[in-house]
Amino acid sequence: MSDLLSVFEYQFFRNAVVAAILISIYAAMVGTYIVSRKIVFIGGGITHASFGGIGIAYYFGANPFAGAAIFAILTALGIEWIAQKGKVREDSAIAILWSLGMAMGIIFVFMTPGYTPNLMSFLFGSILSVGTTDLYVLAGFGLLVGIIYAIFFRPILYTAFDPEFAQVMGVRVAIFRYMMSVLMAMAIVISIRSIGIILVLSIFTIPQITAMLFTRNFARIIPLAALWGITGSVTGLILSYLLDIPSGASIIFFLTMQLLIIKLIFVIKQKIAAGRN
Amino acid sequence: MNKPIVILENISTGYGTKPVLEKVNLTIQSNDFIGVLGPNGGGKTTLMKLILGLLHPFSGKVSFPSGRPPTGYLPQVSQIDKSFPITVKELVSSGLKDTNPWFPHLGISQRKRLHRMLDEAGLTKLASRPIGELSGGQLQKALLSRALINKPRLLILDEPNTHVDKLFERDLYNWLQALNKEMAILLVSHDIGTITPIVKTIACVNGNLHYHPSNQLSEEVLRVYNCPVDVIAHGPVPHRVLKSHDHKAE
Repeated sequence: MSDLLSVFEYQFFRNAVVAAILISIYAAMVGTYIVSRKIVFIGGGITHASFGGIGIAYYFGANPFAGAAIFAILTALGIEWIAQKGKVREDSAIAILWSLGMAMGIIFVFMTPGYTPNLMSFLFGSILSVGTTDLYVLAGFGLLVGIIYAIFFRPILYTAFDPEFAQVMGVRVAIFRYMMSVLMAMAIVISIRSIGIILVLSIFTIPQITAMLFTRNFARIIPLAALWGITGSVTGLILSYLLDIPSGASIIFFLTMQLLIIKLIFVIKQKIAAGRN
Repeated sequence: MNKPIVILENISTGYGTKPVLEKVNLTIQSNDFIGVLGPNGGGKTTLMKLILGLLHPFSGKVSFPSGRPPTGYLPQVSQIDKSFPITVKELVSSGLKDTNPWFPHLGISQRKRLHRMLDEAGLTKLASRPIGELSGGQLQKALLSRALINKPRLLILDEPNTHVDKLFERDLYNWLQALNKEMAILLVSHDIGTITPIVKTIACVNGNLHYHPSNQLSEEVLRVYNCPVDVIAHGPVPHRVLKSHDHKAE
């Protein structure tokens, strides 16, 4: 127990916990949109395509995050554009952009002379090295998403549910779809720093799926997903320290365990209820 | 008062560059109840999307003599994602148009209208349920309430009688006939047998459009109009596909 508390004496660990909480909050908002619209695959495409931007930025000595952000946003807009025009199958387009981004990333990283520092941290994340500036970025972005959701909650919900009807009702559907695509891309890139490309999507999906076991009301899924995101990621962080295992993987592993345990409780409760009847 | 609210003149339209409908003419009057019949792929849904403004004509003209009428729209139920986390209340209020879309909460007058609509549709008890928990008939009622809450002058329904039981279907048709006193209705169906008794006129859509100014269709008319619809009679609903000289079916 003293082990458990002593870890909070370290600044880096406190930063990591705050980062996990902040990420859980905005991921709850953006992720509920992703899971409700069943566009997890688009999230995967955006995430992996961003690696192309990281590779190119390394090669030209630019900021890898700027590269990732540009690639992610362009990919998100491209996928949405294809979806709205309907000329190419959306899933094929996503698969192409997904692998093209990864391929470009690998090629440019390979061509970059010398050692490429922190490459692993882009793939797996390094939440334990999050600094104060990073926390401001996470908090600022969380605030932005919160304000957008507060103002545009209904058009976002209506557009996600039935875009054609929303358009008949005069909602500017295309604009909201593009806006949400950009928000999704930004949320993913900002989280890559902490969670890493390979695992980042899970923070946008697992807590939401957990929350959806309790409610099927979009507005209520968000706070519940934030709660399950926070409990899962903070527990994962503490375990990663105690067991000395990589933090990103530990967080995702614990988020998944939490989902499975809760699901199991639901199944058992249903069985008991069915047995009574 | 019967006056034209939508006029389609010589319209060709479709998707991409491929025309689905060609040289279509149709006038919708304010108290019309038009059954739109035709085979699958014949352009029924395309016609509907054109009137809704979701599709633009390649050529020809769509006009609204007294401005675009407030329009209620009920899409095919297969287009609705039943697993989407949205409640009946939220679904129905998504049909409200007149106020600002900003901020998550509805205004007082909107909330009043929502409660009146839910009450009229018998959905008050289900208001907070997610749509995934509704039966086929309840979901259709919720979707129809969404189409009606904005007090439309034109109601467009795409196959409203799929996935519902016969009892609900009869309720629905009674409801529609009452609504027709206040608005024009365009009812799209591939099932001629069930809708001809309740509509006033019929439009056969199969690449082009043939308007039949009554709901009595002879086999000859169907053949001449090249309108190979399914001719099926269901249960208690009277079957009114008539031979040329039969004038009373019931």
